[in-house]
Amino acid sequence: MTALLEVAGLQAGYGPVEVLHGLDFTVGDGEIVVILGANGAGKTTTIRAVSGTIHRRGSIVYDGQDIGRLAADAIVVAGVAQVPQGRGTFVDLSVEDNLRVGAITRKDGAVDEDVDRWFEVFPRLGERRGQKAGSLSGGEQQMLAIARAVMSKPRLLLCDEPSLGLAPLIVEELFRMLQRLNAEQGMSILLVEQNANLAMDIANRVYVLETGRIAATGDAATMRDDDSIRKAYLGY
Amino acid sequence: MARFLQYFFNGLSNGAIYSLLALSLVIVYRGSGHLNFAQGEMAMVSAFFAWWYGRSMPIWLAVIAAAVTAFVLGALIERFIIRPIGLRSPFAVVVAAIGLFLGLNALAPFAWRVTNPQPFKSLFPNDAGDFVRIGGATWRYERIGILVVMLVLAALLFLLFQRTKLGLSMRAVASNPESAPLVGIKTGQVLMVSWGLAAFVGAVGGAMVASVNTNVDAAMMFTIFFSAAAAATLGGFDSLGGAVLSGLALGAIENMAAGYFPDLIGQELRFSSSLLIIMIVLLVRPSGLFGSQRVERV
Repeated sequence: MTALLEVAGLQAGYGPVEVLHGLDFTVGDGEIVVILGANGAGKTTTIRAVSGTIHRRGSIVYDGQDIGRLAADAIVVAGVAQVPQGRGTFVDLSVEDNLRVGAITRKDGAVDEDVDRWFEVFPRLGERRGQKAGSLSGGEQQMLAIARAVMSKPRLLLCDEPSLGLAPLIVEELFRMLQRLNAEQGMSILLVEQNANLAMDIANRVYVLETGRIAATGDAATMRDDDSIRKAYLGY
Repeated sequence: MARFLQYFFNGLSNGAIYSLLALSLVIVYRGSGHLNFAQGEMAMVSAFFAWWYGRSMPIWLAVIAAAVTAFVLGALIERFIIRPIGLRSPFAVVVAAIGLFLGLNALAPFAWRVTNPQPFKSLFPNDAGDFVRIGGATWRYERIGILVVMLVLAALLFLLFQRTKLGLSMRAVASNPESAPLVGIKTGQVLMVSWGLAAFVGAVGGAMVASVNTNVDAAMMFTIFFSAAAAATLGGFDSLGGAVLSGLALGAIENMAAGYFPDLIGQELRFSSSLLIIMIVLLVRPSGLFGSQRVERV
């Protein structure tokens, strides 16, 4: 499998505080990769470094192109979309406008169809298409955030803890959605999660992040069945 | 009744000018969250441009050219003054805007080497007989014209915000500036356009003031700016429709207060009367009459 995203020696942080001390990881074309880690391990920082919303050093090659110096908006145009933590929906815009704004970089004329398709996939969003996004429940906002990111037609989707603060049933629905996007559209997904159990179910490969360094890596299936790894890094 | 209508008509066109400037303030506020204290002075400088261009071209063409000039200047002010300062401290922007206010006020007479108010041609038919008579009150073409210009501009702005990709980008940046780059919006460009657009609308307002006053003068926007800021506040500061309606309402109320109580309020206290109304409204409704109360479930 050829790598769609190849990250080497990634360092990033906030001001003088370095959070990531040189990460190496890859996401293959059509792969779901999950980065697991506890609070403060650097999961969100990793996502932000790839999406260009914070300062970072090291090499980030996406589809043969070095995106390590591009601004966030240019990275979206290149084909990488982010579902930020805490959803980052445009709360004052209607549900429909949130989807349209997700497609703002697109030049094709199929935006209307894609908006309608999402309303079929998530009927609850369709019922609320004219409402302000801020009035949605947490789970609905997370669905909207994923739908909005996918509206830009990315080849690589970055998801920052989509399960955060949501009920287990909703989380399952969201993860099935991610799996579907991967299977039906061949979308590659880089997911960072604390919820190891569920994330390992949909992932091909796993990295374990510990205080800004990769502590372990392997196939999701192998990692799940390896008791020592589970106990050491995943805590269950 | 004739007296009421007279005050009402005259008040509406004063109000239309407040609305134009209030729209400018709202566009900037929605874009970057700043109250631009220099908005009135930017409009004043634009009116000087219109006067200057008007010496070598038809006056309406001069006004349009001045508004385009204002757009460019507004965008440059955002890019090279407001944004670099805002990155350091949001409070510094307020000080920068006040500095801009004072600077522009001193600049205009200096740049054109004029001290006295300079004559400005009326933008509308303005001879003795250019009026319509409604219910015993006269409504001059010039005053009708100002109202129409404001309403047309407000309608175009509404279409821009609601029906275009640029408008969607501007609303997205206003709603969540952190998320906007994540959908590929060039936030910096959107902010430049916001400030440019605000300056454009303000320039039209400045030209209307010059037309009514029949001159341009460095102090022309002074009191008007405060009423416009009051209208923007009353309208909720993030609502275009609120800015339009509040501007018109304040214009009408001020004019009636001054007209009906010439001894108590008169010309001296007319602006205070609108500020009093605003204080009362804000006590009851802190987000203004039309401002969006932020709805956000977590």
